[in-house]
Amino acid sequence: MEKSIRWETDIKTALDKAKMEKKPVLIDFFNPG
Amino acid sequence: MDAVSYPDEKVIDFLGEYVVACRVPSSSEPLSSEYGIKWTPTLVLLDGEGREHHRTIGFIPPEELVPTLFLGIAKAHFNRDEYDDALKALGRILEDYPRCDEAPEAIYMQGICLYKSTRNAGRLREAYDRLLSEFPSSAWFKRAYPYRLLEAAPPMKEEERKAA
Repeated sequence: MEKSIRWETDIKTALDKAKMEKKPVLIDFFNPG
Repeated sequence: MDAVSYPDEKVIDFLGEYVVACRVPSSSEPLSSEYGIKWTPTLVLLDGEGREHHRTIGFIPPEELVPTLFLGIAKAHFNRDEYDDALKALGRILEDYPRCDEAPEAIYMQGICLYKSTRNAGRLREAYDRLLSEFPSSAWFKRAYPYRLLEAAPPMKEEERKAA
């Protein structure tokens, strides 16, 4: 199975996960087209 | 980013190990306004409280994406006075990507972190010497230019060397 990035799509979920895992959050603001 | 950088295996591994990756359309409000997003792609590195520590605008190739995010991680630690952790992230840039675009800034920040953790101003002079030797045309060499007036540092102790 091909590897891929596991993206969160909700900032609150991402911040909660970051606190729990003691990691920073990287947000990619992208152009949806 | 979708076609080149994000499918790269080193980028995938880095994001999985070191950050929580979150992707939102630039039209997402109020988030986009809160972070002042004006162009895409914009990458913003936050701590768990939502405070910004680093940002990039525009396409970044895979060989530059990992070091720029290590630099962001170093800045997040630096801003919290966590100099040992900042030095670890800076060390990854300088060991694994010694000629990358972020290397001059990493050398400059390494000098600052070593100075702040040891109060030895010679570490700033070391940063100047290294920038003079390796990146004399970089903007970070210009910023380090005043440090040429400082005395050279004595050799680093073993624990300082490991941290650097």
